[in-house]
Amino acid sequence: MDDIDDILAEIAVDSIPQETRDLQELTRCWVAERVAPELLPWPEEVVERVLERIRRQIELVEDQTGDMDPKTGFRLIVVQTELERFKFLVRSFLRARLRKIDAHPLHILNQHKDSLEISRPLLSASEHQYLTTHQSLLATHYNSSFLSQFPASLQRLDDTTGGISMVDKPDEDAAIFVRCLRDVGEILIDGTETRIDMKRGDVWVVRWSAVKQWVEVGDLEVI
Amino acid sequence: MYGESGLKLVQHAKRTLKLPHLPPYQTELVRATTREVRDLDKDVATLLEPFAGSFDPSSEPATACALLTNHLCMRRNKRCLLAYHRNRTDKLEEMCWSGVDVLERQQQQPNRNGKEGGNSGGDGGSSSLSPEEEEYVRQYSDLLAAYKGQWTDIDLTGSLEPPKDLFIDVRVLKDAGEIQTEYGAITLTKNSQFYVRQGDVERLIQQGYLQRLS
Repeated sequence: MDDIDDILAEIAVDSIPQETRDLQELTRCWVAERVAPELLPWPEEVVERVLERIRRQIELVEDQTGDMDPKTGFRLIVVQTELERFKFLVRSFLRARLRKIDAHPLHILNQHKDSLEISRPLLSASEHQYLTTHQSLLATHYNSSFLSQFPASLQRLDDTTGGISMVDKPDEDAAIFVRCLRDVGEILIDGTETRIDMKRGDVWVVRWSAVKQWVEVGDLEVI
Repeated sequence: MYGESGLKLVQHAKRTLKLPHLPPYQTELVRATTREVRDLDKDVATLLEPFAGSFDPSSEPATACALLTNHLCMRRNKRCLLAYHRNRTDKLEEMCWSGVDVLERQQQQPNRNGKEGGNSGGDGGSSSLSPEEEEYVRQYSDLLAAYKGQWTDIDLTGSLEPPKDLFIDVRVLKDAGEIQTEYGAITLTKNSQFYVRQGDVERLIQQGYLQRLS
């Protein structure tokens, strides 16, 4: 129940320091990114804040290493342990995103273009750059290996004719676990007669496609 | 037979999935599959020639069927080729991420073949990458380095295991020379054991110089 209480406290008062809330938010992003079948929007602000703090802590560690006082030494170990954990969190988060980007590049690129219109970018600038560069590398590789010798009509990499689309999509109907942070009400699962009533504190196993919109606004939490 | 070399490529790709190393590039098969596509395309052109652009499938079911088969075969071959190449590039990318110097290893292979004999299976001492693949690896490494460079504080290629302890016990497997840590320099000589900060030696563990002791 702790997580829910935290959320409620966040809405009611700003008594929890920003640092703690950022950690919670980053952890939540990390869990969600690892579980959700689709790529989630890039949480720019949290990442910026966390990175800034990591930078400051590294400076602090570098400044104080020369200090021979045993007390400082001990404090530094605590700081460094925390630093390692933060780094791991960010690293694992970025790698989880990259894995998805590599798995469904063209699909994500299209989604990214749509997401720019509603000004909630799916990718960060550097991820976008990585994706486009990687795609052009792959295209060059295919071309020089075999594709250039193909008839012109068959050279495209995003062909959708012939009943099969070449643009691969993640399985949006994959089952995931969600916890309700706020009352959502009744949800109808597409293509079935199943209706579920989601109340605060409930945990459900549902299709990602059915609950995606509530996860994005933060009513549901992926676990 | 139509699609046979394509099938072989896919089988190669599937086998590669389970292998720790990358088997030699199937230049011949790739060429044969590509040639088949070109032949099929010529076939299609010859079949369509007498109709001069006004082909009606319902009046000529037999020709329509031949055309369809040719088209499907070409598409299938393309998918097979793409799958084969993608599978290999995925593997190469994975190596780039885990810090293996693929190109350097390729050059060493002739010397090592004698030792590994059994599992390198008929490498014949030549590189198992095609020239295109070597070029791809070079460019992908550059891309990776560029992307990593934006996250210098994080070390993106670091361990994906959650860190438990700041310091760990390691044993030195190969001489690695002297390294600088904030507690002074350590000389890593073979068979010695150290208690060091994990962040300082992560790369060396990945590269196989050190072994982590639990």
